[in-house]
Amino acid sequence: MTTSAQTVVVPARARTATAVATVRRKQGFQHGGWFVAPFLALFALFVIWPLLRGVYLSFTDANISGEGASFVGLDNYREALNDAAMWDALGHSAYFTLLVVPCITVLAFLLAMLAHNIERGKWLWRLCFFVPFLLPSTVAANMFQWLFTQGIGLINQTFGLDTPWLTDKSYAMLAIVIMTLWWTVGFSFLLYLAALQGIPDHLYEAAKLDGANAWHRMVHITLPMLRNITGLVIALQILASLQLFDQAVVMMDFSPGPELSTRSFVQYTLEQGFTSYRVGYASAMSIIFFVIIAVIALARMWLLRNREEGTR
Amino acid sequence: MGRPGLNRRHLLTAAGGLAVAGSFGFAALGTGADALASGADTRVRYWNLFSGGDGANMIAMLDAFRKANPGIDVKDSTLQWGNPFYTKLAMAAAGNRAPDLGVMHMGRVTGFSPGRLLDPWDVGLLAKYGIREQDFNPLLWRRGVIDGELYALPLDIHVQLCFYRKDVLKKAGLLGDDGRMIPVTSTDEWFDVLKKAKAVQKKGLQTIGLWTNDQNFQWWFFVAFYTQLGGRWFNEDNTEVLFDADKATQVLEFLRRHVTDGYVIPGAPTGEQFINGAPFTWEGNWSVPVFSGAKLDYGATPLPPVFGKPATHAESHAFVLPHQADRGGAANEGAHELAAYVVKNALQWAAGGHIPAYTPTLSTAVYRKLTPQNEYVSAMDHQATEPKVWFAGSTGVLAQDLGPVVVSSTMGSAKPAAVANRMKSRLTKLLASKNPMDGRTAAQGGAVA
Repeated sequence: MTTSAQTVVVPARARTATAVATVRRKQGFQHGGWFVAPFLALFALFVIWPLLRGVYLSFTDANISGEGASFVGLDNYREALNDAAMWDALGHSAYFTLLVVPCITVLAFLLAMLAHNIERGKWLWRLCFFVPFLLPSTVAANMFQWLFTQGIGLINQTFGLDTPWLTDKSYAMLAIVIMTLWWTVGFSFLLYLAALQGIPDHLYEAAKLDGANAWHRMVHITLPMLRNITGLVIALQILASLQLFDQAVVMMDFSPGPELSTRSFVQYTLEQGFTSYRVGYASAMSIIFFVIIAVIALARMWLLRNREEGTR
Repeated sequence: MGRPGLNRRHLLTAAGGLAVAGSFGFAALGTGADALASGADTRVRYWNLFSGGDGANMIAMLDAFRKANPGIDVKDSTLQWGNPFYTKLAMAAAGNRAPDLGVMHMGRVTGFSPGRLLDPWDVGLLAKYGIREQDFNPLLWRRGVIDGELYALPLDIHVQLCFYRKDVLKKAGLLGDDGRMIPVTSTDEWFDVLKKAKAVQKKGLQTIGLWTNDQNFQWWFFVAFYTQLGGRWFNEDNTEVLFDADKATQVLEFLRRHVTDGYVIPGAPTGEQFINGAPFTWEGNWSVPVFSGAKLDYGATPLPPVFGKPATHAESHAFVLPHQADRGGAANEGAHELAAYVVKNALQWAAGGHIPAYTPTLSTAVYRKLTPQNEYVSAMDHQATEPKVWFAGSTGVLAQDLGPVVVSSTMGSAKPAAVANRMKSRLTKLLASKNPMDGRTAAQGGAVA
């Protein structure tokens, strides 16, 4: 799961930042173009061009060797939409997303509250919650492969279980979800922590004077003030979770999991391209996936646009 | 077949989990230096997929060749096992950057667009270096012949074996006077053997390791027993599916029964349990060095002929010539010479458990003394192989499609009869589908010798 660490606007600074930006915008744009050029060049070379090439390939029956491809129109798309295995794989990615997103959002919020309200050793808590996120997926997944191993795994030993985490289809995806929570909660935790620090103290003080208890303060001040961040966390997590791939593959020893139960959409696309050598077909599936992701991202932007009009 | 370098079995024996991080890329990609080795006038670039013990054995054979042929500079590269290897080989051949010599699984050759991504062997040149068809098992040799040309020169066969612990079997009265497991000729006899072994074995362990969750192993076992029943896949022209769902159901029920009768702990590590005292495990012959290294008193026989006819799953490593637009000259001749040398001097290779394809090796005194190799060498004459179609072969489309289906039956989440029917419909679909490499169906591919 790749979480793109987009720069996040912290509401506390938001008002000043917006003010500054407005001034800047009036000074004209011609200097900025040069600063953006290197990025644009790389972006065009490594994102735009492959994307266009992928769209083109999706209308052909290209194989891995890149030779002798011919135009097949919409055949690949037609086949993909009728491919039960593709829908299965999409279902697995969606199921993973449904499990991960609510859990990680709640967990990140709770951990952030804990780290924010603790008096001593704040840095230690922050470090503990965030460090796993810095691990490469292969390292984190390998660690959990050991932890989940049935006979000798720490998890079963600790809780006195004999659960076949990695080898039974009822548990395999759950194991990947648990590993993902530990591994990536740090990112959302950090977003929440920054947002919590941005809530002005005088709000709480005023509420206290009015006799609001801790619960009231959380429900009526903290949560509403965090609404935007929660939206952002959920959206980023959905986009990242749908792209489930590497931790599942590593934890399942590069297999699609017990009885294909952890084969994600990305993994199935890869199999079609690099086991079956059907690059054209795999490209069509990638484009379908791109559209799904793009729709979700656009929906979020549209929702946020309405919300920001309400708050500003 | 070198198993991928990244599974729990290897991890447990590896010096440390972090070694894994290194196994993702290439191992030993050569120095990249363009200078020829001193005194050499020809360079042969050779790609293979052997890691672990197989890799060490291959390198030892290459070193012996270098010593004997100082005029040829062998540049060997080891790539990651499995699909990554085939992807790179296909791309290199298509982009005309192919090595002079490569290794493939025999079953994958048909789908690899022989003639376009692979060049045929020059049989005359091979003969010059002592390779003659009559020195090979005829069925094995013919698997490498496509449209009348030899595309794959077999180095070995590797087979699925029934490993057994002599200490446990002795206690159970299951060892013959020759110190080998008593022969088994029916499913009832086989389960009787398991029952007796279970009665005397160490508690808390399974009686037999079956890789119940592994789509590759389950598929290989299925192929073995389905062949024992005389089951067929397709007709001669590959136009019709002859898959026998009843026979398939028998096989699936047989595999499943190991779980339902309590001889298998699903998901338990197979090799480790065997080393710790489990009486049986079904594994590929590449486990021989592992078990011998653990100093076990064990034997290994081909999978038991429980359906009457002996047959055990076999794949084969074979040398191939990746396509080069200008193949020929000294490098090509060097590739022929190197391949011939390794095939003929494969005793070192046999130490890894594989059965050398070059039959004169099998009758040498040295090979006959190798244990347990001398016990399962007969597998050469009873090979159960996948059908010769473009979608077959190690970790190919067929295994990827049918393996998980077999697993679902063995694990009990689907009924054997339903799974057999599902397999038949998958086979029908595959037979009608086109090989993406050349756009031809199995029938049009006509890859029959």
